Amino acid sequence: MSETSTPGEPALPGAATLGPASGVLRLVLGNEFGLAVLIALTAAIFAATLDGFTSPFNLFTIGRQAGIDTMIGLAMMAVIVTGGLDLSVGAIGVCAAMLFGWLVQVLGLPPLAAVPVTVLFGAALGLVNGATVVASGVHSFIITLATMSIFFGVMIFLTKAAAFNGLPPEVAAFGKLRFFGVVSPMLVIALAACAALVVFYRFTTLGRQMLAAGANARAAELSGIRTGRVIAACHVLTGMLAAMVGLMLTARTGASVPSMAGHLGQDWLLPAFLAPVLGGTLLSGGRVSVVGTLLGATFVTVMTSGLLLMRVGAFWILAILGLMLLAAVLADRARQVFLKSRGMI
Amino acid sequence: MKPKSKAAVAGLLSTLACAPALADPGTRVALVPGGPHPYFAAWEQAGADAKAEFDLGAGDYRVPAKWELSLQSQLLESLLTQGYNSFLIFPGDAVGTNAVAQELVDNGGKVIATAGCLKDPTPALFCFGTDTGNSAYLGTKELIREMGGKGRIAHFTGFLVDPNTQLRIDAVQQAADETGGAVEVVQVIADIDAPQPAEEKINAYLAANAANVDGIVTTAWVPAVVAANSLRKIGDKRIKMVGIDHDEVVIQAIADGYVDGTMLQNPYGQGFIGSYVLNRLNTGCTLKDDAPWKSNALTARFVDSGTVFVDQATAPTYVDAMVGITGDLLANFETDFMNCP
Repeated sequence: MSETSTPGEPALPGAATLGPASGVLRLVLGNEFGLAVLIALTAAIFAATLDGFTSPFNLFTIGRQAGIDTMIGLAMMAVIVTGGLDLSVGAIGVCAAMLFGWLVQVLGLPPLAAVPVTVLFGAALGLVNGATVVASGVHSFIITLATMSIFFGVMIFLTKAAAFNGLPPEVAAFGKLRFFGVVSPMLVIALAACAALVVFYRFTTLGRQMLAAGANARAAELSGIRTGRVIAACHVLTGMLAAMVGLMLTARTGASVPSMAGHLGQDWLLPAFLAPVLGGTLLSGGRVSVVGTLLGATFVTVMTSGLLLMRVGAFWILAILGLMLLAAVLADRARQVFLKSRGMI
Repeated sequence: MKPKSKAAVAGLLSTLACAPALADPGTRVALVPGGPHPYFAAWEQAGADAKAEFDLGAGDYRVPAKWELSLQSQLLESLLTQGYNSFLIFPGDAVGTNAVAQELVDNGGKVIATAGCLKDPTPALFCFGTDTGNSAYLGTKELIREMGGKGRIAHFTGFLVDPNTQLRIDAVQQAADETGGAVEVVQVIADIDAPQPAEEKINAYLAANAANVDGIVTTAWVPAVVAANSLRKIGDKRIKMVGIDHDEVVIQAIADGYVDGTMLQNPYGQGFIGSYVLNRLNTGCTLKDDAPWKSNALTARFVDSGTVFVDQATAPTYVDAMVGITGDLLANFETDFMNCP
């Protein structure tokens, strides 16, 4: 299962009445299939034409980066599900990472003990966002634009922008760990998070309430769903996932670094939107694609790696990523129009 | 630096470096700044000149698309995959870049932190850059002298994530403190080493406070350009200013009397000499443990790439000054810092 939509309503309801052929058509027109084909094609072309693309080191770095970008995408996806946004996702991640550094380096907490505290801290910052959005009725874009500065500013004030680089060596060792010579634990964590989220959105009441609230908040409210709490829960989930990304980057760099997500955490915003939107998550809410987000992040990482190896100018890579985002939005629009014309949605 | 100037520098340096520089086409040098910035433009020519002069396999200047730690890390990982084995890196973060530098070293690469230092413990061989604190200190002392030993100073400086910025802020403050209260640093504006924030904040500050400031010291490239332009626009020669680097705007403002001087750095020399050193290390030389390493707040293995103050009298021949400091450094580097067979 990769795509989850409003409860009581299959992702593409018409498919049930249009027979197996339309089921195949639906699969082929789905974002996940298209992305999987694209990844396979681009990887095959790069592997055939670029020296070093299939080297163990390059495959390892692709997996590691894809894992991190997937988690960033999932963090944003968790709040997009209700039609919201979280611009503070990077700031939350960095704040959590810095808390982890402080807990381990200053308080002497074992890293494994500091991990759950850090994730809970991310959840708390997410709750601040969610509660403020619900209580104020202001769109999450505005609220999180403000909290992005607040969270980051307080963190810089408290830490004086100094990194925690005295963490135990096992933290950095985890970031460099390779399974079978090529698989990064970052990728494993991302795959585990994807599996958990698929189960969450498909099989849990809260997960399906989130989808319902995103598809039609009014209808959900009339169905007895307390949409305010659900929206707050989405932000809590985003905060937890962002904190996990902060931990992953801490392992990646072997230190808790205030600049790991750039100024105000803004460096995460492009991957945060790129992966879920490429993957088919609707910005208007009501439908998420967990596997699509994973594939979207993987596609971007494979493309970036290949373009860098081709020595395409770094400035062009950003432009190409922007074009990919635009193309994904337009392709999704075209796909919906086509399916609607066939009576499939 | 202008092409002619670069040619002059390269010509002189090639003479100086014709010592036993064993060619190693296996040395593939990548010069990687933290992001796009005019300061690093000279690295491109430096890498190309070093490739030709020392017969390197590569001497390529590769710039991340923006100042983003993860982009720089991805670029460095890709360069390693492409077969580069020698890296001159301006750290995107003094601590955060250590991880990717370690990865490069673990895979057989050599790294010199260039123009900015990595924080110890670091896998970088050493840090090769301007002694930014000393440069800012000397520049401020020159400014104080121009101000007659008293007055109020505004300090415009670079990115807060730049490991050099805090060193510069502290050094300017130290120079002011040494006057026993006669000179006061009334404003530090940081994080403005880009045109938009520099224009906005410097112009706004001078519009409101020009009458309350007697001197300006700038310790980053873009703020120096913007402040020089601002003083020219408002026609103010009362406010004394000492800038940094050799942008033509600053040099011209010195010639026209709007700016009193500038502290030159040596980006070309960093790229050229850094490439030379990496090549020598790849051909059997080793670094001396007992070399005259300097230390700063980030590392105990620092080599000053040189800094020099130029004023109205010396501005027209500033290239000679840069050639001089680079030549001196290159001529003695091997003797001072390396054991070579």
